[in-house]
Amino acid sequence: MAVKVKRRTPNRSLYGDLINILVLAGFAMFMALPLVYAVNNAFKPLEELFQFPPKFFVRNPTLDNIRDLFTLMNSSWVPFTRYIFNTVFITVVGSGIHMFVASLAAYALAKHQFPGQKLFFNMVILALMFSPHVTAIPNYLIISKLGWLDTYLALIVPAIAAPLGLFLMKQFMEQIPVSLLESARLDGASELTVFRKVALPIVKPALMTLLIFSFQSLWNMNGGTFIYNEALKTLPTALQQIVATGFSRAGAASAIALFMMIVPLSVFIISQSNVMETMSTSGIKD
Amino acid sequence: MSKGKMLNKKGQGSKGFSLSLSQQRAGLGYLFISPFLIGFILLFITPLFQSLLYSFSNLNVTSTGYTLDFVGLTNYNQVLRVDPNFIPSLITTILQMVTKVPIIIIFSFFAASLLNQKFKGRGFARSIFFLPVILTSGIILSMETSDLLLSSAQQVAEEELTAGAMGSGLQFLQFRQLLFSINMPPMFINFIVLAVDQIYEIVIASGVQILIFLAGLQSIPLSLYEASTMDGATAWENFWKITFPMVSPLIIVNSVYTVINTFTSPDNEMMSMIQSTIFSQSKFGFGSAMAWIYFLAIAIILAIMSAILLKLVAKYQQ
Repeated sequence: MAVKVKRRTPNRSLYGDLINILVLAGFAMFMALPLVYAVNNAFKPLEELFQFPPKFFVRNPTLDNIRDLFTLMNSSWVPFTRYIFNTVFITVVGSGIHMFVASLAAYALAKHQFPGQKLFFNMVILALMFSPHVTAIPNYLIISKLGWLDTYLALIVPAIAAPLGLFLMKQFMEQIPVSLLESARLDGASELTVFRKVALPIVKPALMTLLIFSFQSLWNMNGGTFIYNEALKTLPTALQQIVATGFSRAGAASAIALFMMIVPLSVFIISQSNVMETMSTSGIKD
Repeated sequence: MSKGKMLNKKGQGSKGFSLSLSQQRAGLGYLFISPFLIGFILLFITPLFQSLLYSFSNLNVTSTGYTLDFVGLTNYNQVLRVDPNFIPSLITTILQMVTKVPIIIIFSFFAASLLNQKFKGRGFARSIFFLPVILTSGIILSMETSDLLLSSAQQVAEEELTAGAMGSGLQFLQFRQLLFSINMPPMFINFIVLAVDQIYEIVIASGVQILIFLAGLQSIPLSLYEASTMDGATAWENFWKITFPMVSPLIIVNSVYTVINTFTSPDNEMMSMIQSTIFSQSKFGFGSAMAWIYFLAIAIILAIMSAILLKLVAKYQQ
C-alpha cells in the first residue's frame, strides 16, 4: 500500500509568532503601565513628583530618591535592615511551610478516602468565601489569647493555614493517575515517599504557582494589627509609616515602592523559568 | 505546630493495632491533613462561628472587653426589611459578577494558551501578565489610594472624563448600533459592550486565573500531542481534543476562584458597605448579619454554578 505522507509545515510559523506577540502586547500594555509609572517615579526629582498635571515619564532622572532612602535607613530608630529581615524571614518560612503543609493535606484529600473528607473540603471553600472584615475581630481575640501578639507566629501561622493553597493543590493532585501511585507503593515506597517523590514532582507547575501566591501575600503582609514592637514590624508597615510622614519623604517612598514590586516579580520570573515540562501523567489513563 | 506533632505521635501509635488496609489509609489521611487542619480550625473556622454568634446579638464594647446581648433574628430582620440599601446593592453586586466571570474565564484561558506557546520573550510576556497580581494587592494599592496627590489628580481626571463623556458615549452608541445592525441578539450585544467597556478591570482581574490555567497547560504531557500529531491531527484538533479536555477541570477551579475573588474584593459595593457598618458605625452585630446573608448568597450561586459546570465538564471528558 502506498501511503502518501503529507508534509506538514511546522505549527509555529513566523506569522504565527508575529500575531501572538501583537495580541499579547496589546493586553500587556494595560498591565505594564503601572510598573513603568513606578519605575519612572522612583527616579523623578521631588519637583517632578509634585508636578501637576503629573507627567508619566521622568524628565531629569536623578538618584536622589535612592540616596534619600539610604539616609532614611541610617537615621531610622530601628535599623532599616531589620524591617527587611523581618519581611524576608516571615515570607521564606511562611511560604515554605505553607507549601509543604497545604500540598500534604491536598494529597490526602485527593488520593485517600476517609470519613469527613468531603465536609473538610467544603469547609475550606466556605472559609475562602467569607469576608475578612467580619472575622477580623474574632481573629484578633484568638491571636491575643494564644499569646502570639508581638511574635512572628501571629503572621506566619495564619498564612500556613490559608485555604487558597489547599484548594488549588487539591484540584491539581486529583489529576494524578492512581495507578502511578499504586506502582510506587508496590515497589515498597512509604506513603511519605510516594508523596515526595511521585506526587510533588508531577504537580510542580502548580506548586510553583502556589509559591508565587504565598510569597506575594506574605511579602505584602502588613502586620500592623498584631505587631506593635518596632523591631518586629514588617517592611510594608515601615513603608506606610514613611508615606504617612508626608511630602518630604515622597521620593524615598517611591524608591521603596519600586523595591517592593521588584522582589516578587523576580521570584515569579525565577520560579517560572524553573518549571520544565514535567513527566506528568506519562500517557497513563485511569 | 506543637499540637500537630502530638497528633502525629498518636497517629503513629495506632499502627501497633492491627488495622485493615482501608483503615490504615484513612489513618494516614488524617495524619497528613492534621497539621493543616489544626491551624485552619483554630484561625479560620473558630472566627467564622464567632461571627455567626455576633450576628444574633448586640455587641457592646466595654473597658474589659465586650458583652453580647442575645437578640435573636432582629439583626437579620433589620438587614432584610429595614435597611433600604442592602438588597439593591446585593442585586447589583450579583449581576456584575454574573457578567464578569465568563469574560474573565474566557480571556484568561485565551491568554494562558497564548502564553504557553513557544516564542521569543515568553518569560517576559508571562511576567507582564503577572504584574496585576503584584500591583493590585497590599501595600502598593493602599499607597495609591492614600496618596493625596494622586487622588487629587484622579479627581481632576474624572471631572475631565465626565466632561468628555458625551463624545465617547456617542461613540459607544454607534458601536452598539453597528452590532445591532448586523442582527445580533441584544443579549450578546450587551455582553460585548460590557466586555469592551470594562476591559481594563477584566485584564487586571485575570492574573491569577492565567497562572492557574498556565500551570494546567504545563502539566499536559507533550507525548500526547506527539502521538496525535503522528496520527495526523491538526493543531486545531489538538486544541479541542487534548488541551481543552485536559484543562477543563481547571475551568471549575477558576470559576470558583473568580466568583470568590470578585465577591470579596475590597472595591466591591457590598464589601465596603459591610466594612463601614462594622468599623465606622461600629454596629458589629448588624454588620455580621449582613456578612452572613451575603455569604449565603455567594454559597448558593457557587453551588448552582459548580453543579452546572461539573455536568458540562463530565460530559466533555467522555
